[in-house]
Amino acid sequence: MSTTTLANSPPVASGGTSYAVETHGLTKRFGENIAVNDVELLVPRGTAFGYLGPNGAGKTTLIRVLLGLTHADSGTMSLLGHDVPRHRDVALARVGAIVDEPRFHGHLTGRQNLQILAAAREAAAKSRIEPALERVGILHRADDKVSTYSMGMRQRLGVAACLLGDPQLLILDEPMNGLDPAGMLEMRDMIKSLVAEGRSVMLSSHLLDEVERTCDAVAIVDRGRVIRQGPISQLLAGSSFEVQVECSDPDRAGHLLDGTAFGAHVQVGPDGLAISLPEKTQRDAIAEINRLLVEGGISVYRLQHIQASLEQWFLSVTSRLGTSE
Amino acid sequence: MTTTSDIGAPAPGPAPESVPAATRGDHRGSWIPTWGMITTRFMELRRRRGLMIGLIAVNIGIPVIFLGVRLISHAADPKSYGPAGGYDIFTSLVLGFMYILGFIVAAVVGCTAGSIDLTEGMFRHLVITGRSRLALYFARIPAGLAIVIAIVAVGYTIVCVVCVFAAPTQLNYDGVSVPQGLSRPALDSWAASHADEVICDFSFNGGPGLNGPPPSVPCGNGQTSGPPPGATITTKGGGTITVPAHVSQAQVRAFAIAVANHDYADYSVRFLVPPMSVMVDVGLWIALEATIGFIVGLGLASLMGQRTVPIILLVVLELILTPIFSRAVISHLVNLERGLVGVAMLHIEPGSLPTPFSGGGPVGGGGGGSGLGRSGLIPESTLTASLVIVGWILFWTALGAWRMRTRDA
Repeated sequence: MSTTTLANSPPVASGGTSYAVETHGLTKRFGENIAVNDVELLVPRGTAFGYLGPNGAGKTTLIRVLLGLTHADSGTMSLLGHDVPRHRDVALARVGAIVDEPRFHGHLTGRQNLQILAAAREAAAKSRIEPALERVGILHRADDKVSTYSMGMRQRLGVAACLLGDPQLLILDEPMNGLDPAGMLEMRDMIKSLVAEGRSVMLSSHLLDEVERTCDAVAIVDRGRVIRQGPISQLLAGSSFEVQVECSDPDRAGHLLDGTAFGAHVQVGPDGLAISLPEKTQRDAIAEINRLLVEGGISVYRLQHIQASLEQWFLSVTSRLGTSE
Repeated sequence: MTTTSDIGAPAPGPAPESVPAATRGDHRGSWIPTWGMITTRFMELRRRRGLMIGLIAVNIGIPVIFLGVRLISHAADPKSYGPAGGYDIFTSLVLGFMYILGFIVAAVVGCTAGSIDLTEGMFRHLVITGRSRLALYFARIPAGLAIVIAIVAVGYTIVCVVCVFAAPTQLNYDGVSVPQGLSRPALDSWAASHADEVICDFSFNGGPGLNGPPPSVPCGNGQTSGPPPGATITTKGGGTITVPAHVSQAQVRAFAIAVANHDYADYSVRFLVPPMSVMVDVGLWIALEATIGFIVGLGLASLMGQRTVPIILLVVLELILTPIFSRAVISHLVNLERGLVGVAMLHIEPGSLPTPFSGGGPVGGGGGGSGLGRSGLIPESTLTASLVIVGWILFWTALGAWRMRTRDA
């Protein structure tokens, strides 16, 4: 597989223990299929970190490896600075996680399920059951059997289970699954509040819009391999963007811009021009476009810079990967 | 080529704290489960309504119904229906019922405890706590046994109580009311004074003093014992014997005493009520059987990661393989047969009980020349049987724990 480099950035910093999650060369195979492929991942502490990828990209497998639910074939990893699996018990003591769809004993109540999980943690975990239920908003249903819970409520119960260990790191696999819009908003706020408390949150998702609203940084994974990672603002800053222009003579304007060195892709529509500029184009290019049009005798009525969303960026990155193969 | 960019801002946070004191003290990596893990596991199993109903119905409900019907029937019509309690009822319930179904029910609980976290998705949550997987496994053993043994104990106690307090007032031996607990001379003496009943009703088949035909004595309803006086009978050797025309009372008493002597071994293990020592021994034996059922079920279900197939396998083991292999000597597989835990359990059965799977026949049935030992079981020393039982418990515990430790969650 061949991919292009979007950012002229130095290699990944390594060696520190100040990352919530750190992996080097992590690989997990299922027969011929490489689900996690030489993954180098650094999740800073105190941030909300999105782990993005299409279905089957290996997001859940990476999380399972990190949590010791399955073993890695090669590579090293650490959680909160503790090597795993060597110090797995110490590392996981301050980690909460939801992997896949959260499932519990259906014949027990939400509170009883949490009691079982709290008993496997330190003694203080028992006293956190009530606050955790309250925080995720299911205290009023805590004594109902889980079999009567909706998917969204089980998702909340999963988050409550994560909070029992007073975690420094939460790893949430598709936490928005099954939530209605209000629930998604609450979950987003909850994640933000957890980060505000100094905790680190790593969430995997394919809901790019939610990740963009929730996370500070992301990693993009495709076919088991991390292809990009960094703060969202930095990643998007280096991406392509679009300029929409409303002017007196769109056809001539398009013709004029086609001959420039911007590498712009110009489309003429009923509302004017849509000019796509390649990644790493500086914002000064917008002023340059305006100057060219005005000097060409074209009246410019509106000129709007439209930054690519994470979704557009993600699609452009992954589609480029697809075509490069 | 894959290139990753530096995370850059936001800057990495502070270095990790040392392990919190609360975490350091909880021995999370230890294989020993905490009390809280055991009690919550107990709670999880206890709240399985269907499982508990089945467990209670089999171990308590059915004996209660059986004994209740007998109590009511006997109270309503004592002549037609025998007493609800007594030694015979005790052995029938224990061997024909509690021993076999106790194992199966315990196995069902074990299989449930061994697989349900996995199938219901809780295993993953538990592993993520960082708690030792071995501790998670071992927590299930005391929790499950607390349920199984408690329910078996309650059912067994009810059986014992009814068998003691609703026992017949006289020992019925071969249809004759005989005082219980007589010594051999005392039984001889009693037989001499009840010679007609002994000769008519006690079973005998040759032996010292019993080679000739029994003397003819009245047995009621116009029946007599033995051939009529003066009759000529043919012996096995082809000779003939003429039954004396007159038999003295002394000869009748002597014959009755010989019959009593012949039957003494059998008589001596018949009781009006099960003795306390027998009840304790049998109770421990049943508890051990249930424990084995639970441990094997737990290990097998943990190994296979499911509940249904292990249950079927254990039912087959208990109801089909054990009865067959405990009595059929297969020359090339005899050591394998001895290695079956069910066969080993039969060998350490409390001595005064009939053997299960023998149709309720008393001890001493023998295997004749078939290579079977006492009680018709394949021969096996008590030491070997004990080692087999311990081996099964350790093997399945280790296997289940190993699978728990290595399984993908």
